[in-house]
Amino acid sequence: MNKAPAASKIRTPLLIAMAVFLVIVMPVLNVAGVIEDFTLNVWGKYLCYAIMAVSIDLLWGYTGLLCLGQALFFTLGGYMMGMHLMLMIGKLGSYNSDLPDFLVFLGHTKLPAIWQPFYSFPFAMLMVFLVPGILALIFGFLAFRSRIKGVYFSILTQALTYAAALLFFRNELLMGGNNGFTDFRTLLGANLREAPTQRILYIVSAILLVAVVAGCKWLTSTRFGLIQRAIRDSENRVLFSGYATANFKLFIFVLCAMIAAAAGALYVPQVGIINPGEMTTERSLEAVVWVALGGRGTLVGPVLGAVSVNALKSWATRAYPDMWLLILGGSFVLVVMFMPKGIIGIPAQVRALIAKMKNRGANSRQPVTTKQDAEVTEP
Amino acid sequence: MSCGSLIRKVLMVAGIGAFVFASQKAAAQEETVRSKIAAAIVMPDEEGRIAVVLDLKKNPSPEIVGWLDKWKEGLIFMYEAEDGSIVPVLMGDKIEGTRKIAIRKLSDDAPVVDGTGNQVGVTKFELDLADTSSSLRKAMREVSDLAALADPDVEKRIKAIENSSVGQRQDKLPGLLELQKIETNSKANKALEQAIAIINLRSDDKAKRLAAAEFLGNRGSLPAFDLLKTIALESKKSGDKEMEKAALLAVSRIEMHISRINAAGTLFRGVSSGSVLLVVAIGLAITFGLMGIINMAHGEFIAVGAYTTYVVQNVFASGLRLSPFGQSFEIPGLGLTGTGMSLYFVVALPLSFLVAALVGLLLERSVIQFLYRRPLESLLATWGVSLVMQQLFRLTFGPNNVQVSSPLWLSGNWTVNDVVFGWNRLFVIGFALLIIVATWLVLNKTSLGLLIRSVMQNRNMAACMGVRTERVNMLTFSFGCGLAGLAGAFLSQISNVGPSLGQNYIVDAFMTVVVGGVGNILGTVISALGIGMADQSLQQYLGNPVIGKILVLFGIILFLQWRPQGLFVTRSRSLD
Repeated sequence: MNKAPAASKIRTPLLIAMAVFLVIVMPVLNVAGVIEDFTLNVWGKYLCYAIMAVSIDLLWGYTGLLCLGQALFFTLGGYMMGMHLMLMIGKLGSYNSDLPDFLVFLGHTKLPAIWQPFYSFPFAMLMVFLVPGILALIFGFLAFRSRIKGVYFSILTQALTYAAALLFFRNELLMGGNNGFTDFRTLLGANLREAPTQRILYIVSAILLVAVVAGCKWLTSTRFGLIQRAIRDSENRVLFSGYATANFKLFIFVLCAMIAAAAGALYVPQVGIINPGEMTTERSLEAVVWVALGGRGTLVGPVLGAVSVNALKSWATRAYPDMWLLILGGSFVLVVMFMPKGIIGIPAQVRALIAKMKNRGANSRQPVTTKQDAEVTEP
Repeated sequence: MSCGSLIRKVLMVAGIGAFVFASQKAAAQEETVRSKIAAAIVMPDEEGRIAVVLDLKKNPSPEIVGWLDKWKEGLIFMYEAEDGSIVPVLMGDKIEGTRKIAIRKLSDDAPVVDGTGNQVGVTKFELDLADTSSSLRKAMREVSDLAALADPDVEKRIKAIENSSVGQRQDKLPGLLELQKIETNSKANKALEQAIAIINLRSDDKAKRLAAAEFLGNRGSLPAFDLLKTIALESKKSGDKEMEKAALLAVSRIEMHISRINAAGTLFRGVSSGSVLLVVAIGLAITFGLMGIINMAHGEFIAVGAYTTYVVQNVFASGLRLSPFGQSFEIPGLGLTGTGMSLYFVVALPLSFLVAALVGLLLERSVIQFLYRRPLESLLATWGVSLVMQQLFRLTFGPNNVQVSSPLWLSGNWTVNDVVFGWNRLFVIGFALLIIVATWLVLNKTSLGLLIRSVMQNRNMAACMGVRTERVNMLTFSFGCGLAGLAGAFLSQISNVGPSLGQNYIVDAFMTVVVGGVGNILGTVISALGIGMADQSLQQYLGNPVIGKILVLFGIILFLQWRPQGLFVTRSRSLD
C-alpha cells in the first residue's frame, strides 16, 4: 500500500516559483507600495503558522504521530525569543526600570538568574532550539520507550500541553503569568515598530519556510523518510525487521519540536505579544486542522492549509464573528470524513471519481478498485 | 459642688424615680420585654438606661437579643407625642395615598394616633434615632450574651456558649455554670465544658488552670489551640514550669487532633473529587474504553446535560426565552414554587440522559459510524463537532454562565468530631455510586450489555454469530453520551454552567480512562479515586491547587511508563 506521496505530483519548478513569489516578489511589491505593510505583516504571521503546520505534517502525515503539543513547542520558542525582547526594552518600560515591567510589578528588584543570559541574542537563539528540544527529548524518550502510540500519544501530548499552560499561567514562574510578554521595542537594534524591520522579519519567515519545506522534502526522500513512512503504515513490521523505531520517532519528534519553536520565535516579534493562551490544546488542534485541510502526507498541503484557514479566519471573525467556529468545526468534520487528503487531494479524488464513472459505464460488473485506494490505512 | 453637677444629680434622681414609676406601671399591665426596652429608651440619662438594660438579665429570654439589636442598629426612633412625652416607635408600612410612613409604639405594637384618632405619619428623616453610647452597648452585649444562652434553639445556644468563652472573662463563668446545671442536650453540654475550661485557663486558682489545660488537650479543642500556645509562652516567661509543661502537652495533643482532622478531611475531599472525575469519565470509559472512539466532544455532551437541567428548571419556574440565530422563542413555564420546584431535579436527571443520548445517536449516525476504523480521524472529527456544539450553546444560551439553582439542602454540612462533611460532597459520592452501579447493571445484567460486551471483545466474531454490530455500536455510543449527560445534570448542581463547561473536564476525563486501562470500568473507578486523592493531598500539602494539578499530570505520564496500558490490561494476542 505504499503509495508515492501526492506532493511528488507537484513539480519542483512550481515549488520554486512559489518560493520566489513568497521570498522576493511579495517584499518587492510591498516596497513598491502595492501590498500594504499590514498585509505583509499578516502574511508573515501566516508563514510562521505554515512552518508549524509543516512540522505537524512531518509528525502526523509522514510518521503517524498525531502530536497535540506542537503549540506548546511553538509557544516555548516564542517565549525564549520574548525573554530576549523583554530585556531589550530596557528602561523604556512604564516603570523606567531595567527589569521587565511585570517583574517590577511582582516586586522584584534584581533580575532573576535565569533571565540574565538572555541579554545575549545568540544565547536566546540557542535556547529557542534547546528548551523545546530537550523537553521533546525527555517526553519523547519516555513515551516511545514504553511504546505509547496512536491515540494514547495524542492524549498524553494533550495533557503535557495542558499542564504546561497551567504552569505558564502562574506568576511564580516569572514568565509574565496571564499577560505573558508584550510591548517589545527593538530586536538587534532595529525598531520593531517600523515597516522595514517587519519586512525583514517577513523575509526571514519566508526563507525559513522555504528551507524547512525543502529540508523536509529532502529528508522524506531519503532512506530515513522511507522508514518513517513504514513506521506510519505498520510499525510492528518495521520493528520486527530490526529497526529501533523508538529512535527514529524520537529523532523526528525532537526535530519537529525545534522547527515549531523556530516558527514561534519568528512569530513573536511580528505579532508583538506572547501569552499562555497560545499554548492551549485548542491551538494545537487548530494547527492540526490546517494540516488536515491542506492535505497531510504532502509538504505543500500544510502550507496551503495554514495560509488559507488563517486568511479565512481573519475574514470570517470580522464578517461573521458568531459563525466562525461553526464554519471551522463544520468544515473540519467534512474534510475528515470526505476529503482524507485535503485540498491537495481533490484533483486525485475527482480523477478517481471520473474513472469510477467511466468504469461503471464501460463494464458495470468489473470490481471497483479505486475504493480501497481511497481508504486510509492507518493503525 | 458646681451648679451644673447639682442639676445633673437632681435630674438623675428624677430619672430613677421615673424609672421606678414606669416599671411599676408596666408591671401592672403585664411587663413585656418590649415595654421594658421602651422604658429603658425613654430614660433621660445614661446610668438609668444601663440600669434598666442590665435589669433584663434577671429574666433572660431569646427575644431580648432581637430587640436590643434593633436598638443598636438604629431601627428604633423617638417620637414626640402631642402631650410632650417621648414615645419610642418603630417604622411601619407606608400610609396609602401619602408619602408618609405609619409608626407603631415599641412598647405594645399599637399604632400611634394623634388626638383625633388619626394615624400619625412621618417622613423618613423627621424622627431622631434612639441613640446608644459605647458603655450602653457594652451592657447590651452582656445582656444579649446571657439571653442567647437561654435560647431554646440548640444550635443558637451552642453558638452563644462558644462565643461566651471568647476573651476568657471570669465574670462569664457563673452564667455558664448555672446553665450547666440545667442543660440536657449532650452537644450543648460538651460546648459548655469546653467554654468553662477555656475560661478557667485564666482562673486565679492554679489547680483549676492545670486541670483546664489537661481537659482541653484531651478534648483536642480547636478554639483553645492559640490560647494554650500563648499561655505556654507566658508561663515560660514567668518561670511557671508546671503550667508551661501542661500547656505544651495540651498543645501537642491538639496538634495531633488537627492533623487527624486534616487527614480525614483530605481523604473525604479526595474521594469526592475522585467521584466527580468518575462521573465525568464513566461515559468516556464506554465510548473510548469499550468502543475505541476518541470522543473529543464528550465534554460538550456533559454541557448538553447541564443545559437540559437548566431548561427543565426554568420550565418548572417561570419559563425561558431563547434567541438562537436571531430568532426568539419562548418556552412557557409551569410557575411552580416550593416542593414542586424542588422536584425539578428528579425530572431533569432522566431527561438530561435522554437528550444527551439522542444527540449522541445523531452524531453516531452522521459522523462516527464512518470512522470506526480510523481512531485518529475520529478524534479530529469529534473535535470539530465539539467546536460546533460549543458555538451552538453560545448562540442559544448566551456566552455567559447560566444560573442553575441547587437545592438548599446541598449547602449544609455535617460535622463529626470536628471533621466537616459538606452535603454537596456527600451528594457527589452518592451520585457516583449510583451511576457506577447502574452502569454495571446495564453492562452485566441486561441483554444489551451482553451484546455490547460481545461486540467490544470481538466484533467480527459477534457479527458472525448474528449480532447486528452496527446497531450495538449505535446504542453503545448513545449510552456513553447519555452518561455524559447525567454527569452534566450533576455538575450543574455543584459548578457553573456555561458553553465551555465540558472543556474544563475533558483532559481529566481522558487521563482517568487512560490510567484506568482502556476497556475496563473497574480500572476507571480506581484511577478516578486515585487521581482525586492524589490531587487533593498534593493540594493540601503544597497549598497550591495548580501546582498540585501539574504534578498529578506529570505523575500520570510517569505512571504510564511503568504501566503503558493503564492499571488493568485487557490481554489479547492481537497485535494492534
